[in-house]
Amino acid sequence: MSAATPRGMSPRMRLVLFALAVLAVLPGVVHVAGHMPQFGAHPLPYGDAINAAAPPERHVTNMTSAVNFDYRGFDTLGEEFMLLCAVTGVTVLLRGGRGEGTAGRPGRTGHRPVLPRTDAVVLTARAGAGVLLLFGFYVALHAMTTPGGGFQGGVILASGMLLVFLGDGYAAWRRVVRSEAMDACEGLGATLFALCGFAGVLLGLPFGQNILPLGTIGDLFAGGLMLVENAGVTMAVGGGFLVVFIEFLEETRVVPGADER
Amino acid sequence: MTPLLALLFLLVAATGTGVALSRNPKRQVLAMSANGMALALLFMALQAPDVAFAEIAVGTAAIPLLFLAVLASIRMDHGPHGTPKE
Repeated sequence: MSAATPRGMSPRMRLVLFALAVLAVLPGVVHVAGHMPQFGAHPLPYGDAINAAAPPERHVTNMTSAVNFDYRGFDTLGEEFMLLCAVTGVTVLLRGGRGEGTAGRPGRTGHRPVLPRTDAVVLTARAGAGVLLLFGFYVALHAMTTPGGGFQGGVILASGMLLVFLGDGYAAWRRVVRSEAMDACEGLGATLFALCGFAGVLLGLPFGQNILPLGTIGDLFAGGLMLVENAGVTMAVGGGFLVVFIEFLEETRVVPGADER
Repeated sequence: MTPLLALLFLLVAATGTGVALSRNPKRQVLAMSANGMALALLFMALQAPDVAFAEIAVGTAAIPLLFLAVLASIRMDHGPHGTPKE
C-alpha cells in the first residue's frame, strides 16, 4: 500500500498480507482452542441458579420465559423497542414514496410472464397455513410450560400468514393481512409490554415486579404477569414481521401514480 | 459427541460452504435457507428447541423471502425516480 500502487493491491500482495495476518493470529487461536471447556459442558453458574430458583419462585417450567419476562424483563423492554424502531424505520423508508394503496399490479422483469399458481401450490399453501397458525398459537400459548414463547410463536404466526401470499396471491394477502391492523398490533403489543413493566413502578415496586397471582406450576396459565407480557410480545413480533413482509412485498408491485408525490 | 451431532455439524459446514461458494444471488438465498434449516436441526439436536423454532421461521423463511423480494425489485424495470414503471 505504498504511494506507487494507489489503486488497490495485486493478488500476490494480498496473499502475503493474508499469510502475515494468519501468522499473527494463529498463536492466539491455538491457545484459546486448547483452553475451551469440553463440548457440552456449561461451566457458568447462571443456568443452574435459574433452574433451581425459577420453578419455586415464579411457578413456571420454561426458564427462558422466566428470564426474558421476569428476571431480565427490563432488557426485554429494550429489545421490544429495538424491534419497534427497526420496523418503523423499514416502513418509513419503503412506504414513503408509495403510499398505502393496494391497487398495484405485479411488477415485471423484462418480458417474463407472470404465471398463475398451480392447484398443488394453492392446496399445499392453504393446508400449511392452517397448520402453521395453529402451531404458532400453540407455541405462544405454552410459553410458560414448554420451550418457545411469544417471539417464536409470533414469528411462526407471521410465516403462516405469508403462505396466503404464496398460495392465493397478492389480492387475498392484502385482504387478509390489513396493514393498519398489523401496525396497531405491533405498537399495541410493545405498549402492553411496557405497561406491564411499569405497572409495578406505579404501585411503588421495582420495574417488572410480578404483581399478578402466579398460579399452579405446570399449568398453562401459570406465571402471572408474564402471561400478559408474553401476549404483548406475540402481538409485537407477529405484527412487526407482517408489517416488514408487507412493505418488502409491496416493492415488487407497480403502483399507479406513485411518482406524483 | 454423538454420531448424529457430528453429522449435523458436517451438514452445517457443508451448507455454509455452499452459501459462500454460490455466485448467483438467487441460488445463494436458497443456499442460505438450507443453511438455516441445517442450523435449526443442529439446535434441535442440542436440545434448544426454542432457538430452533426461531431459526426455522426467521432463517429459512423470513430472511430468504426478504432477500428474494429485494432481488425481484432490483430486476424489475424501474422508472427514472426509482419507482417501477408501467
